[in-house]
Amino acid sequence: MRAGNSFRPGFWLVFCRELIRLGRRPSLLALVTLLPLLLMGVLISVFSAGLATRLPIAVLDLDSSNLSRQIIRTVDATPDAAVTVRVGELAEGRQMILSGRVHGLLLLPRNLERDVQAGRRPEVVFFYNAQTLTPGNLVLRGINAAVPAVAAGIRVSMRTAHGQPTDAATAALGPIPVQINPLFNPALNYIYFLLTALLPSVLQVIIVTASSYTVGRDVETRHRLKVLRRLGGGLWPAMFGKLLPYTVLFLLVLALADAVLFGVYDLPLRGDRALLISAGVLFILACQLFGSLLALVMPMANAVSIGTLLTAPAFGFMGIGFPRLGMSAFALGFGAALPGTWYLVARVDQTVRGTPADLSLKPILILLAFVIGLALLAALRLEWMRTHSANQPRLRKPTLAEGTT
Amino acid sequence: MKRLLTVFWNELGRIVTLLPPFAVMVLAPFAYALLYPQPYLNEALRDVPIAVVDQDNTQSSRELARRVDATTDVGVALVLPDLPSAQRAVYERRIYGILYIPQYFERDLQHGRASPVALYADASYFLMYQRISGGVTAVARAFGAETETARLIAADVDPAIAPAVADPMPLTAEPLFNPQGGYATYVLPAALILILQQTLLIGVGLLATLPGARVPRDPASGDRLMNALQTVSGKMLAYLVVEAVILPFYLVALPYFYDLPRLGSVTTILVLAIPFVLAASALGILLAAVFRRPLSVQLATASLGLPLFFLAGFAWPPEVMPEAIRVLAAFVPSTPAINGLVGVAQLGAPLADVRGPFLMLWGLAVLYGVLAVALEATRRETTAPTLPRAL
Repeated sequence: MRAGNSFRPGFWLVFCRELIRLGRRPSLLALVTLLPLLLMGVLISVFSAGLATRLPIAVLDLDSSNLSRQIIRTVDATPDAAVTVRVGELAEGRQMILSGRVHGLLLLPRNLERDVQAGRRPEVVFFYNAQTLTPGNLVLRGINAAVPAVAAGIRVSMRTAHGQPTDAATAALGPIPVQINPLFNPALNYIYFLLTALLPSVLQVIIVTASSYTVGRDVETRHRLKVLRRLGGGLWPAMFGKLLPYTVLFLLVLALADAVLFGVYDLPLRGDRALLISAGVLFILACQLFGSLLALVMPMANAVSIGTLLTAPAFGFMGIGFPRLGMSAFALGFGAALPGTWYLVARVDQTVRGTPADLSLKPILILLAFVIGLALLAALRLEWMRTHSANQPRLRKPTLAEGTT
Repeated sequence: MKRLLTVFWNELGRIVTLLPPFAVMVLAPFAYALLYPQPYLNEALRDVPIAVVDQDNTQSSRELARRVDATTDVGVALVLPDLPSAQRAVYERRIYGILYIPQYFERDLQHGRASPVALYADASYFLMYQRISGGVTAVARAFGAETETARLIAADVDPAIAPAVADPMPLTAEPLFNPQGGYATYVLPAALILILQQTLLIGVGLLATLPGARVPRDPASGDRLMNALQTVSGKMLAYLVVEAVILPFYLVALPYFYDLPRLGSVTTILVLAIPFVLAASALGILLAAVFRRPLSVQLATASLGLPLFFLAGFAWPPEVMPEAIRVLAAFVPSTPAINGLVGVAQLGAPLADVRGPFLMLWGLAVLYGVLAVALEATRRETTAPTLPRAL
């Protein structure tokens, strides 16, 4: 860059210089744009179905009666489970579960129909793979809907056999029916629950490590920090001129991923658009400043490693899959120290929940506090580095402190 | 053979003496072993706070609320006068569900009519939703069954037959392998395998890009291919030796420390782990050839963990993934490794039942191994080490 004399030093000079340098380094540009987009694309495709339906289960029908066939038909008709295999014995069904071909085995015992009619209460057993939590719970939900539905029909006919009128018998079936209303995500769609939280989590790792790298490159040659500062005409314009080009790029990446979620997959936007975007900007800035601070206090390669170590396992701490409510004090503290935790709270608030604005501010204010706190720490550290290098006699040149106007 | 051993000792020496690969392959696994399980150590959510809006305020309605509070799943944190105030408490995240008991709940129940209650459960966090809906419906069903049996007996049905009329065909659900439905038991076995793969990929990638990776070729032996084969085998042998320490710690000792159920035999686990280590380290060599510099390897692989975890078809069933994604997933060693190793360790499957993943792992090990040898054979023989340049 030879533009030093024709441009006034300031924020825009540093900003444009950084953009031009980024343009010359396609691999860095790919790291901050293509890589996150690619990974997000993979995750979006993985969850593109949104709902997991017709998961395979096996049936061991030892009765082969009208009743057992009716149960199988009813189970197969639920959206959750599909009867794909009939097995001849328990061991065969067990092996099907072990090899992962089915998620569960429904056992209909011998003489089921006869014993039901005789009031001997025969047991229907459903074995399901609870190791894989999601499919296991889904096939269980299907069975839990289907088998009691068949039983309800039997109960009505047993009551009418005892002389009750049909309508009274039907009313007495479930004395306390529970009308369950899933709030905010009525279809229990995994896109609105999990995928929308995974995308920022991937971005968090990339922002922190990439910021450590770009800032670390300037720190490694101390001369460069001085040049940056002079071009910026001060500490703050130089710092933000350096960071903001990446903020804009990361924001575009996040916006593109969100455009797919909102546009193609109909992720609800029930809250305030402005609050959602502010939270996004603050989240990106907080991650950038965190990565930069790491690079200011340790060698760049270590900063990248520590940044990876802290953010790669972060998803579990952010309380989406396993809520923070159930975590130990340490895990709660670790989660609270991650910008992503608060961004996800704000994101859930503004997308599916539609939280009223007056209750939405807490996570956004915490993110703002992150940005201010980390920026101050970074500035203090830069000042400290400057005075300590200036105190070395070889570098003490008064002209360095002056601007180039 | 002599070259193979030279490369082996050289590579083993580099793993121990070069700090970045040592940190990634040996120190990081220990750090992750402590850090990663922390969120899940309580295994289950307990006493998820809900509010009760009781419009009936009778003995029966209070009894229902008391029983809901007594479950381990749900706790009644607030008793509120109306739905709007309860809704606000949900937005504030003070509670995650609302049990609404309408007026005349008791009267309808006593008159033999259906007496419904409404439950609103926060589905923006699925685990909260499951806990609340499961806990409350179980209480309502038990409470209802008692009422129904009592009614039937009152209506002169034989007390011996009454339970059969109330529930003629009981359903028993048997959760296999993770009877408590614990979250750590669910997520850790798969996550540990993924962490092993990540540390191997990055560690091998660093080793291949840091200076000193190349053992000068013996000018006496001219066969390029033989040389390349011995070089790659020597390196892979070194990674196998390192993983012979780390992997049993991860897949045998850690599950024991974290109290995860383990049904499978240790021998089968280790037999399955060999092609996994080979496939992942060969893939690491190939990644190094793409990214060429240690920092690029680190930056490019740092964020891969989460996508690869969900690609493995463990947390989200592969049956509902698009075909193209399943094909892509099959080329990542963690996919068959998680299927096979979780099958053996957690489900107690014998090797015969995880034949598929076992063969897939060997297929990947051979595929990536052959590519790594080919890459080595075609590489230009340079004596001067290339200067490390920036990304």
